[in-house]
Amino acid sequence: MNISTILLLGGTILALGCSFYKDKKRTEESMKMAWGLFLKTAGEIIGILALIGLFLTLVPQSSIKVLLGGPSSLLSGLYGALIGTITILPAFVAFPLAGSLVQKGAHLIAVAAFLTTLTMVGLVTMPIEIEHFGKKFAIVRNVASFLAALLIAGGMVIFL
Amino acid sequence: MKAKKNRLIILVGIAYLATSIYDPKLSLEALKVTGSYLREMLEVMPAIFVLSSLITIWVHREVIIRNFGGNSGLRGKLASLLLGSVSAGPIYAAFPLTLSLLKKGASIGNIVIMISSWAVIKVPMLFVEAKFLGIKFAVSRYLLTVPCILLMGVLCDKLLTREEVLEATKDEEDNLKTRILEALPGYNCGTCGFRDCNECAKAIALGEATREVCKPGGEDVGQKIESLMNASYK
Repeated sequence: MNISTILLLGGTILALGCSFYKDKKRTEESMKMAWGLFLKTAGEIIGILALIGLFLTLVPQSSIKVLLGGPSSLLSGLYGALIGTITILPAFVAFPLAGSLVQKGAHLIAVAAFLTTLTMVGLVTMPIEIEHFGKKFAIVRNVASFLAALLIAGGMVIFL
Repeated sequence: MKAKKNRLIILVGIAYLATSIYDPKLSLEALKVTGSYLREMLEVMPAIFVLSSLITIWVHREVIIRNFGGNSGLRGKLASLLLGSVSAGPIYAAFPLTLSLLKKGASIGNIVIMISSWAVIKVPMLFVEAKFLGIKFAVSRYLLTVPCILLMGVLCDKLLTREEVLEATKDEEDNLKTRILEALPGYNCGTCGFRDCNECAKAIALGEATREVCKPGGEDVGQKIESLMNASYK
């Protein structure tokens, strides 16, 4: 468990304690609401996570390596952004993978684009986003994130 | 909505079945990967749901509008950035919490900033990134990402209005509002602080007012609304 998870859990428990101390009934009400939120989203989240698990097993990491190490930095940057868009990887897998990519000669731009879209753009989690905010919001936010990722990757040229 | 959800589960089930016929080992491997994701989800989601509900019930609308609303300016943007970056969990954990803030009056741009920084800007992650890719790479990526996220917030504020996003999320609540309105006594007395019963019902359905807000209705109406709210979650 990392520090922000501990912070979240601690904060929630504290907030819940305060709420309970101040007003039992409203606390009970909010617990019911929380349970409702859980019922509303849990099925979808579990389904999507299972889908990602299957996808990652069927499409091995080696195919990601092939695409990101291409000869053109521009093209591999775009590939990086696209691969990051369609995949979800936990950070403890993504960073070592990115590190080994760089060692194998992948372009830093491609790796930066990959890491940024990986976290900010979520094609697979879009159904969950649509469920909460509607189609237009989800599309606008994801497209904007994708463009931002390209911008970030392009900007890396200045620094590196 | 329900049928859609079941469709996803069925689809995933078929995909797994097909994979196990092709190669049982592969589907076991996939289940293991899924298991690690589920653990990540279970670590944060219960707290996220509880926190979202506590915000809905306790935090005053004015507080959210002042800090994260359309007129909160640069301070609001930075506060959103900070809130997102200290939060835990994958990007989908950001959705319930930010939605409850949107309903309470936060601006679209600030919501987008929160979701993006939730996903990308994590101080512990910065250290992991620096370890594998070098400190120069990690720091420059972060330095470029922060302004980009703020820019995205401004852009999304221009492209989307609060009304249309809330509209897209409300169809379920709209039905709920109608049923709550029927349960209210209909005096339009304004004791609750809303203009009439219709406004009051809308606020209850959105979670902006508690279910005992109707004083003339008393315990009886409160209980009716309570059972309506509970039914709507299922």
